[in-house]
Amino acid sequence: MPLETFKASDSLTMGVELELQLVNSHDFDLSSSANDLLELLRRKPFPGTVTPEMTQSMIEIATDVQREHGPLLAQLQAIRDTLVHAGDRLNIELAGGGTHPFQRWFEQRIFSKPRFQELSGLYGYLAKQFTVFGQHVHIGCASPDEALFLLHSLNRYVPHFIALSASSPFSQGVDTLFDSARLNSVFAFPLSGRAPFVLSWDEFANGYFTKMESTGVVKSMKDFYWDIRPKPEYGTIELRVCDTPLTVERAAALACYLQALCRHLLERNEPPPEEDDYLVYTYNRFQACRFGLDGMMVNPKTREQISIREDVLATLRKLGPHAQALNSMAALDEIERTAARTGNHATFLRNRFKESGSVQAVVRASVEALRSGPV
Amino acid sequence: MSTDFVFLLQAVAWPLVLLLAWFVGERLHERWQVPRVTSYVGVGLLGGLVNLPGLTTDIPGLPFLANVALSLVLFELGYRINLRWFRHNPWVLLQGVLESIATFGLIYWVTGWLNLPIDQRLIIAALSVSASPAGVVRVANELRSAGQATERVLHLCAINCALAVLALKLVVGYWHLSTSGDLVMAAFGSVHVVATSVAMGGLLGVVVPWLLRFRASQARDMTVVFALSVLLLTTAAYGLRLSPLLAALAFGIVARERRVHLTNAQRDFGTAGDLLAVFLFVYIASLLDWAQVASTLWLGVLLIAVRTASKVAFGLAAARLSGITERKGVLTGLALTPMSAFAILLLEQSRLMGFEPAVAVLSVLTGMMLLQELLGPVITQRALRAARETHVTKE
Repeated sequence: MPLETFKASDSLTMGVELELQLVNSHDFDLSSSANDLLELLRRKPFPGTVTPEMTQSMIEIATDVQREHGPLLAQLQAIRDTLVHAGDRLNIELAGGGTHPFQRWFEQRIFSKPRFQELSGLYGYLAKQFTVFGQHVHIGCASPDEALFLLHSLNRYVPHFIALSASSPFSQGVDTLFDSARLNSVFAFPLSGRAPFVLSWDEFANGYFTKMESTGVVKSMKDFYWDIRPKPEYGTIELRVCDTPLTVERAAALACYLQALCRHLLERNEPPPEEDDYLVYTYNRFQACRFGLDGMMVNPKTREQISIREDVLATLRKLGPHAQALNSMAALDEIERTAARTGNHATFLRNRFKESGSVQAVVRASVEALRSGPV
Repeated sequence: MSTDFVFLLQAVAWPLVLLLAWFVGERLHERWQVPRVTSYVGVGLLGGLVNLPGLTTDIPGLPFLANVALSLVLFELGYRINLRWFRHNPWVLLQGVLESIATFGLIYWVTGWLNLPIDQRLIIAALSVSASPAGVVRVANELRSAGQATERVLHLCAINCALAVLALKLVVGYWHLSTSGDLVMAAFGSVHVVATSVAMGGLLGVVVPWLLRFRASQARDMTVVFALSVLLLTTAAYGLRLSPLLAALAFGIVARERRVHLTNAQRDFGTAGDLLAVFLFVYIASLLDWAQVASTLWLGVLLIAVRTASKVAFGLAAARLSGITERKGVLTGLALTPMSAFAILLLEQSRLMGFEPAVAVLSVLTGMMLLQELLGPVITQRALRAARETHVTKE
């Protein structure tokens, strides 16, 4: 089946998807409760969409198409409140965070939908190790070529999003020393990584995709686990490297940082993307996963080393006017605060562990952060 | 020589039976997924049948050990109780309380057909309110069950147990009043026991977490501390003639509220918990007198039917209101079937405290206990599986 046509949408519209953890309230382990929660949520209108995910201990929520920070944040908060209220009625807690700090994957129950069964049959333990929780941000594109241009122009900023959103320092009960341990699980999949460097949709759809499809390796865009991938049926590009932050406030800020960045890139004042940009891509990505904002990235154009924190702050200075135009000053303030002062949520979680010495207290802190907002 | 042999046989009878119970439990669990506790009960019943030397109630210390074992389970059950949930979803609490009252009333009414003395009817009704935490918790942990049915079964079980103790103590108080006319003794037998047991458990629930704050490292597992604290609590409750079970439940509930974190690797109190569970179920089963089984079996069937009907009916009625499907509501009611260990130990303790009707009630209830002990855990297991909340879920 050929790749479907790219359904154009309004430039710089955005949508956010969050994968959230369901944990029990006694020992804060993951709780296979998605069916129960969805059953209860079905009874009332939901301020967005909510769907089951790979395992019973995860649900995914999504916003409508949004244009500005204010309404996006309001919808995310309404979704959160609805979920938390439903969770309270069922004695289920919800939390953000890219990994659950101490769950053991072999104890998780996989959701009974056929596609998930098929995936777990194919990937074996990888499918269960894939019990990780990400934020996906969609940005609307007016044309498929604009989508590919943005997708490749964003490559040098991918470390920013990894470092800013990183909230998965713990896995299987230990500190991994990574700020985002989650992405290590994602990289294990054969079709993860970066999209091929193609800037014309015609070449992408009729060349690359058709060839890939004829190998039998992929059937649809869903089979690619790329860091950024085009989503033709929505007319968007989808950034998939972010860990789910601990708060919806941070999630909204990250989406608006991406939106402002795209507006900046679409002015085409930066040097155009090229294949050689990807020479440093996996190195930079590793630095962001491992060290977060303290990681050192190489600028693909100038070949200079700079800390990710510095690069974020420098980028923010360029984005001021765009934030003005997009009404997202508050969002960029939060990004600035994160980079310059408070640090990402991985730091927050490590501090909670230092205070308490208990990974369960770390999950409790995540639960409370989602409930009560900014940390 | 022969006396030596008899002595030796007496000495090793218990450990041998426990070993046998463990092997049978593992084997039948592997083979047909029979809940392990059911096998332990089966072996205990056989031990009682052949009247193994040493397997009698006369050995001092065994009831105490059984109480320790069950108190550990009640602590764990208490630890899983989220009091705030009752505020967010009062229907769960209401279901537990109303069902307990209804079960008490129904069983009292039904036993009225059978020419039983009033004090026995009251005791049977009070015991029927309870659900066996040992049966429910062990089965839920064995299945690594998680979900609304599991969560509700545990919370309802705790409510049932607390109210059953309360009801029984009131009955005991009433009995003291009617036999001796001594109001002070009657009050001592009921209100004091309940309130002081809860207070003692609650106090320990505050003190232990407070003491744990003074450790330099938080990394070490705290299961041992809590196991020893439960031991202390049981001993103290024995000495003060309080209810060790209620105290342990209160201890667990308060410890959780004090934000103590127990790791999930130590569910059931780990190896020590397993060891005591084998003992507990074998011991409980060996208390039953086979001579009474035939004559009380039909009564047992009747009582189980009424009790189960009450729990299922309330499960069904509260399902939609409390946010789950009717199917899960019914399965929750069914999963509450086990009741023996808790009820038998309650009776035993009342007997030790000089409550005479306890002996008669135990023999009247033999049939019910036998069936509940053997089938209860199986029904809980099937119900949780049917609710698709177990780790291994067949689609």
